[in-house]
Amino acid sequence: MSALLELRGVSKRFGGVQAVRAVDFHADLGEIVGVIGPNGAGKTTLFNIVTGFYTPDEGVMTFDGQNIAGFKPNALTRLGMARTFQSVRLFNAMSVLENCMVGQHTRTTAGVWGALTRNGHTKAEEETITRKAQDALAFFGDRLLPRQNDLASDLAYADRRRLEIARAMSTEAKLLLLDEPAAGMNPVEKEGLIRQIGRLRDERGFAIVLIEHDMPVIKSVSDRVVALDHGEKIAEGTYGEVASNRQVIEAYLGKAAAQGAGG
Amino acid sequence: MIERFNDRNVVTGIIQLGLILLIITIGGFAYRASGRPKDGTAPPEPVMAGAVAGAASGAMVALFVIVVTLLAEAGYVARDMFESVTPALLDILTFQQNPWVGSAIMIVMAAGVGGLAGYAHRLPAEGRKLTFLGLGTLLIVGLAAPIVDVMVKGLGLPSGWLFRREGLTVAGALLVLVVTVALRWYLDRQGGFRRAAAKLPGITDSNIKKVGLTAAAVVVLALPWLVNSFISEVLGTVGLYILLGLGLNIVVGYAGLLDLGYVAFYAVGAYVTAVTTSLVGYLVTDDPLRPAQNGWTSFWLALPITVVIAFLIGVLIGAPVLRLRGDYLAIVTLGFGEIIRTLVLSDWLKPYFGGPQGVTDVPAPPPASFEFRQPQRLYYLILAFALLALFVSSRLKDSRIGRAWAAMREDEDIAEGMGVSVIKYKTLAFAIGAAVGCLGGAFFAAKLSVANPGSFTLLVSINVLAVVVLGGMGSIPGVVVGSLVLVGLPELLREFGEYRLHIYGAILVLIMLYRPAGLIPDKRRARELAEAKELKETSGVAAS
Repeated sequence: MSALLELRGVSKRFGGVQAVRAVDFHADLGEIVGVIGPNGAGKTTLFNIVTGFYTPDEGVMTFDGQNIAGFKPNALTRLGMARTFQSVRLFNAMSVLENCMVGQHTRTTAGVWGALTRNGHTKAEEETITRKAQDALAFFGDRLLPRQNDLASDLAYADRRRLEIARAMSTEAKLLLLDEPAAGMNPVEKEGLIRQIGRLRDERGFAIVLIEHDMPVIKSVSDRVVALDHGEKIAEGTYGEVASNRQVIEAYLGKAAAQGAGG
Repeated sequence: MIERFNDRNVVTGIIQLGLILLIITIGGFAYRASGRPKDGTAPPEPVMAGAVAGAASGAMVALFVIVVTLLAEAGYVARDMFESVTPALLDILTFQQNPWVGSAIMIVMAAGVGGLAGYAHRLPAEGRKLTFLGLGTLLIVGLAAPIVDVMVKGLGLPSGWLFRREGLTVAGALLVLVVTVALRWYLDRQGGFRRAAAKLPGITDSNIKKVGLTAAAVVVLALPWLVNSFISEVLGTVGLYILLGLGLNIVVGYAGLLDLGYVAFYAVGAYVTAVTTSLVGYLVTDDPLRPAQNGWTSFWLALPITVVIAFLIGVLIGAPVLRLRGDYLAIVTLGFGEIIRTLVLSDWLKPYFGGPQGVTDVPAPPPASFEFRQPQRLYYLILAFALLALFVSSRLKDSRIGRAWAAMREDEDIAEGMGVSVIKYKTLAFAIGAAVGCLGGAFFAAKLSVANPGSFTLLVSINVLAVVVLGGMGSIPGVVVGSLVLVGLPELLREFGEYRLHIYGAILVLIMLYRPAGLIPDKRRARELAEAKELKETSGVAAS
C-alpha cells in the first residue's frame, strides 16, 4: 500500500507550548487509522496542521505524492482531503442539502457569468451538484435525505454529526479526517457509526483518519492506531498492541496505576 | 418641538401632530401601567389604573406649566435657558386658557386618555388590534396627507372632501378609519390576504403571484404621473439608494463583510462618469482654464467604463484589505472611504477632479432632446437600472457563488475547509458590490450635473448600511423597503426642519426594537438571529 498522507518530523509550537513534537505519521489508501491520546495530547492540532488550518514549524508533509507544506485548507480540499470538526460546525442557516452542495465547491466551476445567464453548463452543473449532494445524504439512509430542505440547525444532534460527514464526503475527497465523530452519541448511534465508517472505506473507497476518545469505536473500526501524548507519538500498531503499551496506559491512568496493573 | 409639530394638521381643525404626540406618550404610559404585571401579582383594574397613570402623567405636564408660569411671575424667564419653552408652547399645553385652568384641563384630559388606554386591556385581543391598527393608519395617512392628496388628484378624482390644509377632513378621517378596520376584519375572517385574493374572480392559486407582480409593476410605472415632480425627485433619490443598497447588500448581506467605506464606490461612480462626460473636457484639453465645450464621451459609454473601473478598484482595495476580519475590516474600510474623498479633494489631483469645487458641467444622458433630467424621466432610467441590479443580485444569490458567500458568512474557517477560496470570494463580493454601487454614483452625477467631494461623506456609508440592516441583511425586498423608509421618509419630513432627524432616529430605534432581523428579513438571516437567541436562552448548554 502506498502512503496517501505522510508526515515526517512535524512540529508545532504555540508560544511556550510544544503542541506537536516531531511526529511521523502516515495514512494509506484503503486504511482506517485511529488517533488516540488524553485531552491536550495534540490530536486536534495535528488535524489542523494536516488540513492547512495551522502551518507547521518544522517537518515535511506530502499528500498523494505532492508536497503540501503551506497549502491553504481550500487547496487541500481540492487535492482530496476533507474533515469534520470536534464541535459540530455546520452552516446552520443553510439547508441540509445546501451544506453538502457547498462541499462540491472545488469540483465545480460556474462563475459570475454562469450565475447571471444560467446557461446550459451552469444548469447541468447545478443538477450534478444536487445529485451528488443527495447521494452523500443517502449514505445515511433515511436520516438525512428526507430532511434535505430543513435547515441544518433543525437537525437532531446525531444527525448533525452525520451531516458533517456527508458534507465532507461531498467534497469527493480521498481522505476523510473525522474529529471525534462519536462524541455525544448514544450506544445505538455509535453502533451505526461504526458500521458507517467501515462502509465509507469499503463502499466509497475513502481512506480515513479518526480521532476518538471512545475506545470501543476505535477498537472496532481501526486498522491501525496511533497514540499521542504531550504532542509526541508514543505508540503505533494494532489496537491490541497500543492498548497494552505501558506508555499509553501511563498516559491515560498515570504512572502508579500503570505499575499496579503490572504493565 | 411640540410647537412646530402643532403647525401640522392631521385631522384639520380637530387635532394636530403636537397634541397627538402628547396623547401617545400619556396613553403609552397608561397602557403599560395598567397591564398585567410581569411578577405575576394580581392585575389592576385597568380603567382605573390607566386613568391614575394618565392623570399622573398629565400632572407632570401641568406642574411644568405652573413652574414656568410662577418663575415668569418672579422675573425668571425659562426661555433664557430652555429656548424651546415659548409662549406658543405654553398656549398649546394650556389649551389657550390661563395656566391654572389649562393645567386642570390637561390633568382631566390625561386621565381620560389613560382611562381609554387602560380600557384597551379590556377589549378582546382582536378588537384591540383593530383599534390600534385603525388609529395608526389614520396617523400615517394624516401625516402623508399632502402626498396622498396629490395622488388622488393625479387619478383625476375630487379630493377636497378628503383633505384640507395638509390634513384629513373629518369625513376623510372617518373613511380611513372605517376602511382600514373593515378591510383588516374582512381579511382576518378570510384567513389572510392571499386567501381573500384567491376568492376574487379570475385569480387562482397558480397565477396569484403573477397578478400581484403585474399590479406592483403597474403601480411602480404609473407612480411618477400620479405625484408631483418633488415626489418624483424623492423617488429618484430612493432609487439611487436602492442601487447603493443592493450593492452593499452583496458585501454585507451575502458575504458578511462589514464595509463602512462604501461611499468610496459611490464617489468612484460619480467621478468617473463626471470626468469622462463633463463639458469642461478634462480628458480632451490639457488646459482646464479653457474648457473644451465637449465631453470625452457620452453618458451611455461612460456607464460601462465606470462599472469596469469601479470593479477594478474594488479588487484593488479588496485584495489587501479583505485579509482582515470583522471589526478590523470595518475600520480599514472606513479609512478607505475617507482616502477616496480626500484624494478627490486634494490639490494634487485638482487638475483632474477639480478639488473642493468638484467636476462640473456633467451633461444629462443623451439624446439632449429627451431631457432625461426631468425627475419623471430620470425616475424611469434609475428604475431600469435598479431592476437590472435586482436581477443580478437575485441570480447571484441562488448560485454556486451565492452559496460560497453564505457559507463564508456563517463560518469563514469551515467554508475554507470545504474548499471555498475565502480571499477570492471576498474580493469578488467587494468588486461586484462596487460595480453595482457605482451605478448610483453615475446617476447622481448625471442628475445633479456635478460630482463634488461634499456629497461623499461618511454619512452616506452609514445611511446605506442602515438601509441594508433595517431592510433585512441579505434580503432584496428589504433593501427596497429600507430605502423607501430611510431615504423617502426623511425627505417627506422636511417640513419639520431640524426635528425631522428626531423622528428619523425614533423610527430607527423602533424598527430595531420590534424587527431586529429587519423589515423584510431574509429567511436565512432570520434563522441565524433566532438561533442566537435560543443559544442565549439555553445559555451554555448548546455552546458546550
